[in-house]
Amino acid sequence: MLEVKDLEVRYGRLTALRGVNLSIKEGEIACIVGPNGAGKSTTLLAISSVLTPTAGSISFAGRQINGTRPEDVARLGISQVPEGRHIFTSLSVEENLRVGTATRSDKEEMKRDYDRVIETFPILGERRRQSAGKLSGGEQQMLAIGRALMTNPRFMTIDEPSLGLAPKIVDRVYEVLIDLREKRGLTLLIVEQSSERALKAADTLYVLRNGTIQLTGNAADLQDGKAVHKAYFGFSEDHEGEVMI
Amino acid sequence: MAFALQVLMNALSLGSLYALAALGIGLLFGVLKLINFAHGDFITVGAYALIVPSAATQATLLLGDFHPLILIPCIVAVVVILALISEFLVFRPLRNASPATLMIGSFALGFIIQNILIMIYGGRPKAVGIWSDLSLGVELMEGVEVPKLQLIIIGVTLVLMVVLVLFLTKTKYGIHMRAAAEDFRMARMLGIEANRVIMLAVAISGMLAAAVSMLFVVQTGILDFRMGVSLMLFAFIATVIGGMGSLVGSVVGGFAVGAVSILLQTFLPSEMRVFRDVFVFAIVIFILLVRPQGLVMSRASRERV
Repeated sequence: MLEVKDLEVRYGRLTALRGVNLSIKEGEIACIVGPNGAGKSTTLLAISSVLTPTAGSISFAGRQINGTRPEDVARLGISQVPEGRHIFTSLSVEENLRVGTATRSDKEEMKRDYDRVIETFPILGERRRQSAGKLSGGEQQMLAIGRALMTNPRFMTIDEPSLGLAPKIVDRVYEVLIDLREKRGLTLLIVEQSSERALKAADTLYVLRNGTIQLTGNAADLQDGKAVHKAYFGFSEDHEGEVMI
Repeated sequence: MAFALQVLMNALSLGSLYALAALGIGLLFGVLKLINFAHGDFITVGAYALIVPSAATQATLLLGDFHPLILIPCIVAVVVILALISEFLVFRPLRNASPATLMIGSFALGFIIQNILIMIYGGRPKAVGIWSDLSLGVELMEGVEVPKLQLIIIGVTLVLMVVLVLFLTKTKYGIHMRAAAEDFRMARMLGIEANRVIMLAVAISGMLAAAVSMLFVVQTGILDFRMGVSLMLFAFIATVIGGMGSLVGSVVGGFAVGAVSILLQTFLPSEMRVFRDVFVFAIVIFILLVRPQGLVMSRASRERV
């Protein structure tokens, strides 16, 4: 469904991505893990066309999307829950969800999607008239996911859904994400810093470090973690004692 | 009592003009991060559109002669079209430039507009009398007589503000505009058309400028190619002390600047009245020293951690 080929992105003279390849199949949960500064968010921002790649290509459902505008990418059915959630704090919860329907005109289905979001996250229904800035971190994450769902996406990217959240809430967020795939057949690309939870949820795992994919594999085959560890840190687990911070 | 009411009406009507102009600036700043210094010149153009384009010292009314129901939409159309042309020719090519570059671009635009006005209409101020019966007084209560125009200015401002609030909170495009003003990139990632939102903001800003044009020129009765500049200066100050990025702040700032000007005008000893603006600016500097974020903090800048 999403093919990323030899993607290269630069910030001025700094090269953030040097040849990233991803191949994500319809209906799967793919996960990119990697340390800070590996280029994870950059990859997602390039997919959403917020950043323009200097080389390589991104195609979605057979159509090349790099070089288009972010709003065109959204229209094609790619929705992003960005790092830091970026909810509109001066808007109410309900208004945030309404912004998600910017590209749509199917009134009845919009209503149905709205009800579904509220059903998934009842707290958003209770607080719908409240200013979104007053929500807790976990509620804001739910709102950001709900808002992304309101675009009626076929493909959703989520940048560090567990960042700054209590473990219990992270569990809930992942429950919802897995449920979205099961019930709606949504294709997901999740970016995380820690591989543990990602490994559990993912079908395919990518380890990204220094702007390149170090390891690609079936998540089930990587469960023992050794190969992931080596790809992630650049050295194998045996040396852990000496170099770990 | 009567005197206090008189001063209050003066302050409210001047504050209304500043608030309307400040709203136009604040709206554009919200979505474009552009401080549009040409806004004052948009106001000037709206006023000049009333007369026949000629360098003659005596102004001949053109649009100004029409019935208000035709005149008002025409002036609004002129200013909105000018604002949209500015967006296409100046602001859009500078879209990825820094806010400082954009601001300088708007200065340049302002100078160009002023000089085109001089070329067409000449540099001398001209008198125009439209709707002069509006300056007749109305007796509010015993001993208090205010010009009808003051009431109209305050009324029009209130109506426009209510309409703007309804647009921003109740309509789809209004909500999109608020979202874009807070986080433009996120709004685009959700499929909001960047250029459409910006053009809408430019158009609304133009409408507000047109309203100021008409109210201002009826009040002063004089056309001058610099007439919008001083208005813009005070409106800009209003948005700054109100808090950049907050529309409520723009309105509060506008009324505050208006009130301070009128109070100084009324209570300063007569020989110091010429220096009124010095005192206004001193107060502005003081406010910025104690509250640099402005009187009303914009919600975009107050982030929850």
